[in-house]
Amino acid sequence: MNHETIEHDVIIIGAGGAGLRAAIEASGKGASVGVVCKSLLGKAHTAMAEGGMAAALTTADPRDNWEMHFRDTIRGGKMLNNWRMVKIFTQEAPDRVNELEEWGALFDRTDDGRILQRNFGGHQYARLAHVGDRTGLEMLRTLQNHGIHQGIEVYMECTVVDLLMDGGKAAGAFAYWRDSGTFVQFRAKAVVLATGGLGKCYTITSNSWECTGDGQALAYRAGAELIDMEFVQFHPTGMVWPPSVRGLLVTEGVRGEGGVLRDKDGKRFMFDYIPEMFAGEYAETEEEAKRWRPGVPEGPDARRPPDLLTRDVVARAIRAEVRAGRGSPHGGAYLDIASQASEAQIKKKLPGMYHQFMQLASLDITKEYMEVGPTSHYVMGGVRVDPETCSTSVPGLFAAGEVAGGLHGANRLGGNSLTDLMVFGRRAGAGAAEYAGALSAMPGVNPDQVRDIERLALAPFEESGTENPYEVMQDLQKMMEHDSGIVRAKEELADGLGKLRTLKERSVKVRVEGNRQYNPGWHYALDLHNLIMVSEAITLSALHRDESRGGHTREDFPESSPELEKVNTVVRNRDGEMAWEHVTREPLPGDLQELLSHPHLEEPN
Amino acid sequence: MSEETITLNVTRYRHEKDRAPFIQSYQVPYREDWVVLDALNHIKDELDGTLSYRWSCRMGVCGSCGMMVNGEPKLTCSAFLRDYRPGEIRVEPLENFPVIRDLVIDMSGFMDKLTSVQPWIIREKEKPVSEGEYLQTPDQLDAYQQYSQCINCLLCYSACPIFGLETDFIGPAAIALAYRYNLDSRDEGSHRRNDVITDVNGVWECTFVGECSVVCPKHVDPAAAIQKLKVETVSGMVRGFLMPWSRK
Repeated sequence: MNHETIEHDVIIIGAGGAGLRAAIEASGKGASVGVVCKSLLGKAHTAMAEGGMAAALTTADPRDNWEMHFRDTIRGGKMLNNWRMVKIFTQEAPDRVNELEEWGALFDRTDDGRILQRNFGGHQYARLAHVGDRTGLEMLRTLQNHGIHQGIEVYMECTVVDLLMDGGKAAGAFAYWRDSGTFVQFRAKAVVLATGGLGKCYTITSNSWECTGDGQALAYRAGAELIDMEFVQFHPTGMVWPPSVRGLLVTEGVRGEGGVLRDKDGKRFMFDYIPEMFAGEYAETEEEAKRWRPGVPEGPDARRPPDLLTRDVVARAIRAEVRAGRGSPHGGAYLDIASQASEAQIKKKLPGMYHQFMQLASLDITKEYMEVGPTSHYVMGGVRVDPETCSTSVPGLFAAGEVAGGLHGANRLGGNSLTDLMVFGRRAGAGAAEYAGALSAMPGVNPDQVRDIERLALAPFEESGTENPYEVMQDLQKMMEHDSGIVRAKEELADGLGKLRTLKERSVKVRVEGNRQYNPGWHYALDLHNLIMVSEAITLSALHRDESRGGHTREDFPESSPELEKVNTVVRNRDGEMAWEHVTREPLPGDLQELLSHPHLEEPN
Repeated sequence: MSEETITLNVTRYRHEKDRAPFIQSYQVPYREDWVVLDALNHIKDELDGTLSYRWSCRMGVCGSCGMMVNGEPKLTCSAFLRDYRPGEIRVEPLENFPVIRDLVIDMSGFMDKLTSVQPWIIREKEKPVSEGEYLQTPDQLDAYQQYSQCINCLLCYSACPIFGLETDFIGPAAIALAYRYNLDSRDEGSHRRNDVITDVNGVWECTFVGECSVVCPKHVDPAAAIQKLKVETVSGMVRGFLMPWSRK
């Protein structure tokens, strides 16, 4: 059957920060670029990022530099990061912020007109360029306007079902238009995956409906490797009440602006949870913590409060408090900005949070405590890429942003994600344009593959199906929450893999009603394949990492293992089965190793 | 006692089989904390998987879920059922746009309107990134910040009677966006933008009904932007006539 066919040198899947930045770069290098996205342009999940983008601009604190950002990122990642990626990332970050600013992005400013930076968990210095608590939206808007201005073609409300392959090489993508349900083939010399995360594997998530692990699954099916998939970040502060908004993000900026965590009796509990790795770097008493002020460089006698520890640590602390019976009424912890900042400051620095709580929870955060608890937020793992070009092990296939793995190791620092999108989006765009430029002819399309994809995609309309896609999805989310969630154990993980086999069988028997035009049931049915695949990668990788580290916590192995610190988990498709292995990471060179023990506090200059 | 419910009367339209849009009623559980979007998701997940509508963030940031709720353009993620109880709730696609299916509208012309006002910083001479940022004081930022908060939700177009009659009108959001860049201290391109917004489909189409600002969920106040641009372009024209060398 003949399908609509669209050709470009480079096809980019996903129109969030990474996808648009890749598109701008590839197009700037002369490639013809098409961006394919599931929702409307400008609605991607990047828009929901609140806190800011981390870069050692040195505006807020002259002691900052790329080396300190490097050190914080690796320590925050609990040593598992790919150091080459972190080096590129921290060195290029300031230029990417300035470039966005030059394209028109609005940033909060210092009195003398420079870009203002705020504190965030795990960052030694105030490092996050931001605009209020809507930094992601501003980034996305700027890229959108700049990108369209460059003549990039955007194909909206179009979902990719599978990558087209020519032998072992990427040859494009096979997709359907969400409104008409008809198929379209995008033929391209190079494909960039910029599809973001997979939060919809879980019941409680800060992620939007779009985050269904598409890119990770597309890459896996095309033969690429996935790395570090056991590391899922549970953001410590999601809304817990009312139930309809459970999981929605409460920005870390609340704590960056001075907010503190309290138990049901109002006691600040984070002092009891400072890990050994960070001993001596955080305030140890409430009295000391009170001397620290956001926006003022800290001194040796006013270390930052432990409420600003890394996300994995804070999420586990809240969970432990709730389990010990010291949680807030709806099973979270209290987050208090009301007693820490004036009403005017709160409304100026956190206007989105003020309105979000006022509107959704009828709660005035300038006067009352918020209730917060962990919510699945981000996956550190993803498609394994080359640090320089973001190429994958599949020729012609590139990946950038959340869909890629390696940069963040076992735990991502807040503010490093938006910067990741810009640094590696740009590199993936350049890498793809260069690869495409070196190919003389458009790769071929294999009609057998197209027929197979089409048959699978239309299977849910066959009469024989018995399963309801919504029910299968809900069962999957429950399983992941319970067996492969914030705290894990061998038995539950193994059990989870068993349930995944059943869910996989059920997913091929789903039946949807109606026809192909804008049919959300059908879209769910197709998303299920990706969700199940990435859930298997998470669970399998988690089962074989017998330790606790960053976003991976094992009840049966509560300590970190020095041996497992040296390895990353890689999964790939081997003859239709998911295979895993631990691969030894290239060690840090001596000069970078030294950075990690850099004295954390110096006298302010 | 049975669970309290509330009735949603939802406009359905599937052009391949329906000659005209019709209303379908659904009984959904009433929950104190539910918004209209929660009720629609309940319908889709539990009652009728064929219902189509757009949504994404459920927190008033992405601007995808705009619909008419009891005749008013609203983000359904912030329209609480409790504000309509005990009456029934009418949910329709945003007014002034063609309907693709059910509650999904065709907004394809909107992006072109945004782009037409050149929403980026225009400089006489570009600065290399290595020189760092443009300086902009907090006061200079405050001058335009309000106009930068648009989430492209289209509620203002749906509320605008002029756009309803004349779909070529570039409309409230695009004009507010133009004004945002004109006011930006880093920009030197207002004369180029003003050529577009004083064109036949620009600010002069507006008769200052002001509904756009009333419905804006982000308080962008496009009506004020339109009025100020009218004043400025008139004085600009006069100045251009008297002093042709002054262009910004």
